[in-house]
Amino acid sequence: MSYLELAGLQKRYGGSVAVDDVSLSVEKGESVALLGPSGCGKTTTLRMLAGLIQPDRGTIRVDDVEITRLAAHKRNMGYVFQSYALFPHLTVSRNVAFGLEERGIGKAEIARQVEEGLALVRLDGLGGRRPRELSGGQQQRVALARALVIHPSVLLLDESLSNLDAKLRDTMRHEIRSIQRSLGITTLFVTHDQVEALTMCDRIAVMNRGRIAQIGTAEDIYERPATRFVAEFVGRANALPATRDTEGKVVLWGAAHPVAAPPQGAFDLFVRPQRMRIVSASEPTGGETVRVTGRVLRSVFVGDHVEVLVEGAGGQLAVEMPSGTTAPTEGAEVAVIWQAKDSLPFACEAA
Amino acid sequence: MNGAGPVLSGLAALVYAVILAPIIVVVTLAFSADSFILFPPSGYSLRWFQALAAHAPLLSALWLSVQVACVVTLLSLAVGVPAALALAKGEFRGKDALTGFFLAPLLLPTLITGLALLLFFTPMRLTATLPGLVLGHMTVTVPFVIRMMTTALSNLPHDIEAAAATLGATPFRVVRRVTLPLATPGLIACACLSFLLSFDETVISLFISGPRASTLPVEMVRYVEGRTDPLIAALSVVLIVATLIVVVAVERLVGVARAIGK
Ligand SMILES: Nc1ncnc2c1ncn2[C@@H]1O[C@H](COP(=O)(O)OP(=O)(O)OP(=O)(O)O)[C@@H](O)[C@H]1O
Ligand SMILES: [Mg+2]
Repeated sequence: MSYLELAGLQKRYGGSVAVDDVSLSVEKGESVALLGPSGCGKTTTLRMLAGLIQPDRGTIRVDDVEITRLAAHKRNMGYVFQSYALFPHLTVSRNVAFGLEERGIGKAEIARQVEEGLALVRLDGLGGRRPRELSGGQQQRVALARALVIHPSVLLLDESLSNLDAKLRDTMRHEIRSIQRSLGITTLFVTHDQVEALTMCDRIAVMNRGRIAQIGTAEDIYERPATRFVAEFVGRANALPATRDTEGKVVLWGAAHPVAAPPQGAFDLFVRPQRMRIVSASEPTGGETVRVTGRVLRSVFVGDHVEVLVEGAGGQLAVEMPSGTTAPTEGAEVAVIWQAKDSLPFACEAA
Repeated sequence: MNGAGPVLSGLAALVYAVILAPIIVVVTLAFSADSFILFPPSGYSLRWFQALAAHAPLLSALWLSVQVACVVTLLSLAVGVPAALALAKGEFRGKDALTGFFLAPLLLPTLITGLALLLFFTPMRLTATLPGLVLGHMTVTVPFVIRMMTTALSNLPHDIEAAAATLGATPFRVVRRVTLPLATPGLIACACLSFLLSFDETVISLFISGPRASTLPVEMVRYVEGRTDPLIAALSVVLIVATLIVVVAVERLVGVARAIGK
């Protein structure tokens, strides 16, 4: 049995289901991201874990003890709210001390641990300030320190970085990750930012409409998406409408390809733009390579790569070329090739 | 372009003028040297303030009003704040019905409340007593406190209280350490306003006051029934100044806008 076990969690609001049958196992010390679009039930899941919302169905177990109906203040979970939720009437030190004071720990010991907590998030010396006298990033670190000093059984982070600018967010990601690793804290990290999920967590649970669509390592999710939703949501992908021939092979843009098609129904072929290469139209290709031809519509320089839009018989596709390579000129006839194994067929959603 | 247009501003000024004009008349009369009400006064003096300082019935009524208002404020907060906490934070069946029930007295004409209290208090010998007056005033102030504090408490950020709970604070400790401190500006404003409500309360007091105990507004009504001198104007100026001091103090302390829940 894993350290943290969610089984069949469900929460309804009136007629709509916010979280539907969510099951998840997290090992001790592991960091798992809940990744999904807005409104898919991430916060609701986290709040049920913290005891701030009662689930309608399902169970939550930590360290083999069921806590589904346990009151929030008895759970010992560190929750970092999206809004930080610092106590505006208390100083930074008192904010961090709050959980320790509620546990009836002695004054001297609290002072020592608060000092330690603030040092951990590199806020030493700011203990006397009020929350409103801090920047967003500093407030966030206070919230993190406040949740860490109670030595939580599970650390819950709810989009805790979304209010920060890109640079600070990057720094905070690494800080949180290294703190989480060095203290070995079991962490659930809610985000709708996939880069955050990929860089901060051991595993990712992709959520959609209240359900978990796929759980796996970053590589699993990215290379072997289980559903069309995951393929679309994580990373970029070209969705190329395709058909099948009599042998059950994929036909794309009028040419047969060495890829097996799903047995029935309309489907699209998903290919990551980074996996595609542009070659001159005359260059021949080998057997395990998919090849389509078309005309370059335009090339856009996007900093770390060049995006080339190619139009062919069956529509358009985007190719990402490493910057530094010379992009083909607009209007040039080119061939786009990729490995057959990089093609992922997914059925079209019923309209 | 900022603020209202000239037409709107002019209209606002006019409305204020209509509201404030009587106050100017009162203030002017307070410093009158005449023996009866004459506007504008033929001369100015402080004689009516001196007369006021020597007028025992009005002074004892003032003292009673202050006592009643203090007790009413304390009791209304003691009853109203826990009720507001339950209504704003609690989750129980019949909550909406209970909210409506607590606010209903605010809609009832005080004339009816006053009459009902008179009928109810007379057999219990509560008329014209301090407890009677306090209870009477609380029919106005308690619903007011509940209403104002429910709004103030509902407007507090929910996550801050949730954060305290996740850090191990019991519901009672959350209220003590987070909810009430955050609601302090609202509490102070609420206390001041319920003091003023009680101090100013006339209709109910008229019903349940008697010769033994009457509050200041009642005594003032009685006075102007029999006499027509500027003494009451002088008293009004004293009250206006006292009220202004309280309002400015609250504004300084918490900001009226914030206190009312904006
Ligand atoms: N108190 C509530 N009453 C009714 N519906 C709610 C309530 N809280 C959440 N919901 C609904 O439940 C669904 C999931 O909400 P949740 O807050 O968990 O989404 P989320 O994944 O955290 O989204 P975001 O990324 O925008 O924060 C949403 O459709 C939302 O409208
Ligand atoms: Mg959310």
